[in-house]
Amino acid sequence: MPLIKIDDREIEVEKGITVLQAATAEGIEIPYYCYHPALSIVGSCRMCLVEIEGMPKLQVSCNTSIGELPPERKKDGKYDMIVRTQTEIVKRERENVLEFLLLNHPLDCPVCDQAGECFLQDYSYKYGRAHSRFLEEKRVRKNEYLGSNVIINHNRCIMCTRCVRFTREISGTNELFVQARGDNSKISIFEDKSLDNLLAGNVIDICPVGALLSTDYIHKNRFWNLEEKKSICTDCSVGCNILVYSQNNRIFRINARENHSVNGYFICDIGRYGFHRYEDAEKVTSPLIRSDGGFKPISWEGALKEIYEQFSRSKDGEKHQIVGIASPFHTNESLFMFGRLMDNIFKDKSIIGKLPFIEDYEIHFDSGFRISKDRSPNRQGLLDFCLNLEDEILQKVKTGKVRLCYALDDGVDRKLDEEWESFFKSQRFLVVQTYAMTPLAKLAHLILPGPSPMEREGTMTNDQGRIQWLKPSVSLTNKTRPDWEIIMEFMNTVGKRELKYSSVNEVNLEMGERFPSYRGMTFFKIGYQGLPKKNIATSRPSEGGQAGNTVT
Amino acid sequence: MATVVKSYEPTFRDKLYIPALFQGLMLTFKHMFKKKVTIQYPDEKHVPPEGYRGLHRLNKYPDGRIRCVACEMCAAACPAHCIHIVPEPSPWEEGKERYPVRFDIDLLRCIFCGFCEMACPEKAIELTEIYDFADYSREGLWIDKAGLLEIYELTKTQNYYTVPNDE
Repeated sequence: MPLIKIDDREIEVEKGITVLQAATAEGIEIPYYCYHPALSIVGSCRMCLVEIEGMPKLQVSCNTSIGELPPERKKDGKYDMIVRTQTEIVKRERENVLEFLLLNHPLDCPVCDQAGECFLQDYSYKYGRAHSRFLEEKRVRKNEYLGSNVIINHNRCIMCTRCVRFTREISGTNELFVQARGDNSKISIFEDKSLDNLLAGNVIDICPVGALLSTDYIHKNRFWNLEEKKSICTDCSVGCNILVYSQNNRIFRINARENHSVNGYFICDIGRYGFHRYEDAEKVTSPLIRSDGGFKPISWEGALKEIYEQFSRSKDGEKHQIVGIASPFHTNESLFMFGRLMDNIFKDKSIIGKLPFIEDYEIHFDSGFRISKDRSPNRQGLLDFCLNLEDEILQKVKTGKVRLCYALDDGVDRKLDEEWESFFKSQRFLVVQTYAMTPLAKLAHLILPGPSPMEREGTMTNDQGRIQWLKPSVSLTNKTRPDWEIIMEFMNTVGKRELKYSSVNEVNLEMGERFPSYRGMTFFKIGYQGLPKKNIATSRPSEGGQAGNTVT
Repeated sequence: MATVVKSYEPTFRDKLYIPALFQGLMLTFKHMFKKKVTIQYPDEKHVPPEGYRGLHRLNKYPDGRIRCVACEMCAAACPAHCIHIVPEPSPWEEGKERYPVRFDIDLLRCIFCGFCEMACPEKAIELTEIYDFADYSREGLWIDKAGLLEIYELTKTQNYYTVPNDE
């Protein structure tokens, strides 16, 4: 392992990594624009210049790899490389490079969406000179649409070519290229193409300046107004890590979050712009009961009383009187509670089913990024926690016998086919737990308001068996309550239990107690990056179904 | 050690009280012949000096377009957090690409420090000399974009208080 010295620090590094990578890993800041860990190295911005002993000129640290010297040629007797990042000459050259980058860059930070998270701003402030010596007219070009969601502002572009490399290496769609040479060069798009691939939104993320802009977010807000929350995407079963930016409980944009075990550095456009679905949906914010063809608000106590009345009409010893419809869109904690409700409280009277999974085409990119065909975030969790899941519930259940049908709604993506619609329509009493007026909710007799995917909290298990923590990005509104809490109230009312979980963490602990593969998967353990599920065969919890020693 | 302060012993002249009384009245009478400082407020209005920081206004270009680009620098600089802006891409083809659809100032919160004026890169927000804008409701002291532009029309050519009063 080569031993190098950066400024006054000795670092032992792996052979072959670059100076920039070594410095960043050690926490030494070297400014850069064109380098991106997921993309190939071009060294075009020249911002990361450093002084290396023995080399006549300054070197671009992003493209200088570290090798091992023979013992007799080591610097100072032991180092393979001596790098200086803070000398006078380095500072002067950074200043000069910045001056070149800013030659044609407009001073329009007040109207630029990148302002506040712009590296050009930060480094100009830190390393640049305060005044421009450029007296000539700045080059002005018009904004252009690159695709339906991406606009380019040519004036702000610093030609780092991150976006070009992205379309070549990550999405593999090759839409962008550098047109012309020298100071005429600009990012351009091939005539017969448009930047509309499913990863197109990432070029906005990776642009270090405000040149690439999203039509979805352009001129909507300022960066410093936004609150950043770390969460995971719930639009397919990959479970990409995301950053959700919101202000006053309204989501403004979603960006990718780095997680090498799941999504790398990028997310797809389905997840990036998907949050608008929840905004557009007609929200349910209070328990609603059907009356005279419409719905009228009812208190939580009233709703629970209604459920108890319906339940008390069920007879002992008869099968399939209570139908539970579980959903792969819910967190592990609420599915765990749901399974508990059905198996331990309703016992033999109950049957758990599910609607057909929402599936779409599976997409693979050459870079390894994938979008799963399973468009529900937690199919694995559903299979883990609802152990007696019945696949052919429509055939098994005679609707005439069913007293109570309790359905966890999948949300705005769920469309009902005729068979299922008639099944739900024929129910004597249908309770739907949802956040919006979905087709299923419209058939309900009683609607319980739960959180939307952006308000949920708990763990999700992705299709690789990785448990990740879904953090709420906006807070619950009005009379809505967390899913697990609604099911807990259900259990307390119908099963006469006295469960008093005060937070999702307590449910999570209880879940770990009963399901060994989820043991200890608390937020403090799995953190923001998630952990793979323990490889323990899931069996039905031993005490399940037994009277006396069941849940409490 | 405590110091003993001898209390003031009034003299005979002090005990008469009459000289002191006239001394006070002299001052009163002197002011009767001086220039009066009282302003008969609703009929007469005080004209504030240049640089007075009163009600805000939003400036326009000569062609009538709003100068503001909704950069929210004023809102960021505001120590009272009283400026609320909703930006949007501008509807016009040429010129500024961003403008405010809503620009609200909560005058009850505003402390009239003038930081917004200083922060503005477009010289769009300014404080005028208007000081009498009291209202009976809280809602009345929430000034919106239309209101701020109206203030500009009122104050763009002359001092608000030098205009002859119609009533």
